[in-house]
Amino acid sequence: MIPVNVITGFLGSGKTTLLRDILARPEFSDTAVIVNEFGEVGLDHVLLEEVEEGVLLLDSGCLCCTIRTDLQETLKSLDEKAARGDIPRFSRVVVETTGLADPAPIVSTIAAEPVIRNHFRIGNIVCTVDALAGLSTLANQPEASKQVSVADRLLITKCDLAAPETIARLEAGLHRLNPVAEIRRSEGHDFDAPFLFREELGDAERRAGEVARWLAKADALGHHHIADADTNTFVLRYADPIDWTAFGVWLTMLLHCHGERVLRVKGILNVRESTSPVVVHGVQHVVHPPMHLAHWPDADRSSRIIFITRGIEEGAIRTSLTRFLATLTPQANDAVA
Amino acid sequence: MCGLCGLLGIVHWTETSAHAEAFTGDRRRTIRAERAHRSAVINAALRPYRMTVSDFQATNYILSSATGKREIVDDIQAVWAAVDRMRGDPVDPLAGDWLDALGPDNSGSRP
Repeated sequence: MIPVNVITGFLGSGKTTLLRDILARPEFSDTAVIVNEFGEVGLDHVLLEEVEEGVLLLDSGCLCCTIRTDLQETLKSLDEKAARGDIPRFSRVVVETTGLADPAPIVSTIAAEPVIRNHFRIGNIVCTVDALAGLSTLANQPEASKQVSVADRLLITKCDLAAPETIARLEAGLHRLNPVAEIRRSEGHDFDAPFLFREELGDAERRAGEVARWLAKADALGHHHIADADTNTFVLRYADPIDWTAFGVWLTMLLHCHGERVLRVKGILNVRESTSPVVVHGVQHVVHPPMHLAHWPDADRSSRIIFITRGIEEGAIRTSLTRFLATLTPQANDAVA
Repeated sequence: MCGLCGLLGIVHWTETSAHAEAFTGDRRRTIRAERAHRSAVINAALRPYRMTVSDFQATNYILSSATGKREIVDDIQAVWAAVDRMRGDPVDPLAGDWLDALGPDNSGSRP
């Protein structure tokens, strides 16, 4: 399965600078790149493909489930060309979005198409944020805060141009929007590319490390939830093993009704159907296939599910899941703490 | 469904049989037992709306309404979309009246 990384971030936040830097590195030389406009990247990259954003609305009609038909065709075309030998084989795809784009449709594009889903998987979503303009952009542009909330990695750019206190305030703002994502600072060069792109769930060898980072963030959230305007982040814990089927029924029902407002779900579950922990994660309506973790990262055996929601309070989710599990799969499925 | 889709298979993330590598040990249900269990859980969720789901040949689900409407769907995600179409409204798991209709609150949770 070839990972597809998404580089998102508001206009002028340094997406292309990051892309140009990583493409120049030998370890990313077999990367296929999909951009909206040629020329910006400034590289004669053999695997550079240009797409014009065209969207197809799914029957469900939700904007975050739009399918990027252009992206679908481009991914399939890349795969076919590599299979025919017309272009070199590639081991990674990077999609650079436009500054105003919502990254969620890229995730749903890969999840929705069986052929693509069998060849590609979503890797880390990396969001660049301008150290100088970031706070005001986040305050005034809902697209920008959405990009931050769905990201796995946040890269603050232009740190050499901003005062330390400005960067600290921005970090605090980013933390309120997405306390689970790792934040890195940069000055336009020497990006921590392996951490941004390669330390990820999809890589079985690095999965445990990524889950441990989530759990550290979840522990830091403690018994409190973090809220920024209407974005809420909180953790639900269940001490007893959960019925996986009931959890799946509940989550699919929740996402069908409220998926637009459930920006991220990440969790490590102690399920009745498995002796080892199961990892789940999703972006809005799209939940990725469950993944195996060989060992629990710590002594705690409780299920921990992290939610980032917009306009949905923690209490509503906690009450719903807890009552659903307790009623339909009785055996003490009470949320703890 | 065309033949090609059938060959490729529509795999939903909730199905343990399709993700056997993620579920270790011998606690995993058989495909049919899992689908029967899922149908029972969905039916409990749909009881307030007098709708039911049944498994069809371990490949699809059939959704039925109290008035006799029926629809065959591929997976659980499609069940909720079909319920939405049939009722004209989705099932809202955050709605207090739906939670109350599930049965007595034994969870000890506070709203």
